[in-house]
Amino acid sequence: MTSPTVGFAGLTHLGLVSAVAVAAKGLRVIGYDPDQDRVRDVAEGRLPVLEPTLDDLARRFRAQLAYTDRVGDLAACDLVYIASDVPTDDRGQSDLSGIASLIEAVIAVLGPSTLLCVLCQVPPGFTRKVPLDPARLYYQVETLVFGRAVERALKPERFIVGCADPGRPLPAAYAAVLGAFGCPILPMRYESAELAKIAINCCLVASVSIANTLADLAERIGADWHEIAPALRLDRRIGPHSYLNPGLGIAGGNLERDLATVLRLSAAAGSEAAVIAAFVENSRVRRDWVLRLIHREVLPRNAAPTFGVLGLAYKENTHSTKNSPALALIANLQAWPIRIYDPAVPADAVNHRALHAAPSALEAARGSDALLIMTPWPEFRALSPADLAAVMSGRVIVDPFRVLDPAALRAAGFSYFTLGAPPLHDAEEV
Amino acid sequence: MIEHQTHSSQRPARAVVIGAGGFVGGAIVQRLQNENVPVLGLTRREVDLLQEGAAKKLAGLLHADDAVAFVAALAPARHAAALMQNLVMAEQLIAALSVQPVAHLVYISSDAVYADAANPVTERSCRQPSTMHGMMHAARELMLKAEAKAPLAVLRPSLLYGARDPHNGYGPNRFRRLAAKGEPITLFGDGEEQRDHVDVDDVARLTSLVLAHRSRGELNVATGTSISFREVAELVVKLTGRPVEIRGTLRQNPITHRHFDITECLKAFPQFRYTPLRDGLARAVRESAGAPQ
Repeated sequence: MTSPTVGFAGLTHLGLVSAVAVAAKGLRVIGYDPDQDRVRDVAEGRLPVLEPTLDDLARRFRAQLAYTDRVGDLAACDLVYIASDVPTDDRGQSDLSGIASLIEAVIAVLGPSTLLCVLCQVPPGFTRKVPLDPARLYYQVETLVFGRAVERALKPERFIVGCADPGRPLPAAYAAVLGAFGCPILPMRYESAELAKIAINCCLVASVSIANTLADLAERIGADWHEIAPALRLDRRIGPHSYLNPGLGIAGGNLERDLATVLRLSAAAGSEAAVIAAFVENSRVRRDWVLRLIHREVLPRNAAPTFGVLGLAYKENTHSTKNSPALALIANLQAWPIRIYDPAVPADAVNHRALHAAPSALEAARGSDALLIMTPWPEFRALSPADLAAVMSGRVIVDPFRVLDPAALRAAGFSYFTLGAPPLHDAEEV
Repeated sequence: MIEHQTHSSQRPARAVVIGAGGFVGGAIVQRLQNENVPVLGLTRREVDLLQEGAAKKLAGLLHADDAVAFVAALAPARHAAALMQNLVMAEQLIAALSVQPVAHLVYISSDAVYADAANPVTERSCRQPSTMHGMMHAARELMLKAEAKAPLAVLRPSLLYGARDPHNGYGPNRFRRLAAKGEPITLFGDGEEQRDHVDVDDVARLTSLVLAHRSRGELNVATGTSISFREVAELVVKLTGRPVEIRGTLRQNPITHRHFDITECLKAFPQFRYTPLRDGLARAVRESAGAPQ
């Protein structure tokens, strides 16, 4: 067959990254979104998402990418991916109403042999209920990682494909699209694929939760988790890429969604899932690590500090603040002035009554008694202890993700606090 | 978790402390008076909640704009009879509030409502009391939550200490009295168990804050720092300045610890500071010096 044309319904983070990746493999792509402004922005190169190399790639393969706000344009496609955002509430529950209406609109314009593939995250059981001939209906696991989405979209580890009949070969158009990426393809029934996505995330959460739990213990007994983690990664049963960096709880929305889905399905099915509830609780406790530290180490010695807060995004290389530990912390620092800086998130994301939005990391540090590095943005690594000492009023650095060099900061006279290791300070300091 | 109904601090029109004659109730009355909050302290003399007609009598003393702190209890409730009497007291309060609703109700409960295995304890920890005393508080909490006609805050203190504590349970108060008399302090095992000890005035200060914010929900009252009974004994001996022997004994029971995660308190009252154990014990030692032991 001729090279297939691939449609993406939803110019979301997932939709854009996936569309550009498919275009980069030499296929023609039509990106559809009902939001005219968004379509215009994307078409003119103003991408609404921050993702390393995405802008460059979208420019390079612009000739293969068409953008439209007319759903009927998808009729020209051989395969259409549904790539809308599935919003979640504070409890991680998905709102599926948007994706349901998008699917309805797309199905109405599909040609008689066009394939439909649900790419966004849906709960097990969703795809089978989509009103389309099962022979044309697929679900594909997406493994979008904010901040590394392009890299992963271009070189996926594998494709997990949910089908009505995993024993039948994939249609030629779909096989051609997936084949362009040169990785294993794992067909399975719809429900298995939908649960596989959740299983992947649960495994990641398990690793992070173990790291968090033992990092916390390390802090209290004089061990250093950063010395331990490399040893674990050399264990083949654990692996070099395992999620072993301690953090400030689970954020971003997707992992929380999957945990909530497992708890909901397990409750309905009578399946024991206490460990999942424990992950949720562990995440909740970890999110407030910096708040507890401030109350333990800073406020007893200085009742009226100014805090510098570096980073608002929930992780580096994204503008997303979904469940951001920084915003959760700031909500509980209303009693004290704060100076903030984030390379991508604007200050109006923050609700604080004594807020100064600084133009740079160093300016946010200026005059602060304690500097809180809440997101490990690469540019923060450039902060030098000497510069910080010159501008800060106090000598406290809270650096959960170990962005800066602990020894250098200690040598510069700072008290230093990081996840997974005992504090670096003299007993009466801080 | 606790939520404030008023974010700025507002003095209650009047605080009524039921159980004002007790260790905790007395501290709350004292604290509120120091803060110029109008207080009506009720002891068993004014209203005996185990007497017939107590509900009516109590209702007659309450006003619609009162904030009530319910502290009265026969504690520790070690037997079924004491458990039942304590429940009757709560029942009388509920009956009184059904006649005369009030603006706010604060119940001083206990961390004994939590499962022994809860560690670190948070307000979300499983409530699964293993003692009659814990069950008493858990049942009272439920009764008040279900039936009391007022926004309810439940405070759950950890182990309390203070010069006026009439009890002589294992811990700071007993150690202090023994040390003051120059008598040896005997530990269970080597005193390895770690507990979170709270100055009774901290309960009073937090109660005052809860009243001022008309808070509702649940809040543990614990410092977030647990230390071993041996360390407590050593601290007490140091503070009393007397050469007192601290004796270990053959351990009869497995070592258990209790720690608290007090994040909810840090969020609810960010400027509240617990009294460090050393400071609180020093004050208790000073205040009790010369007082009858």
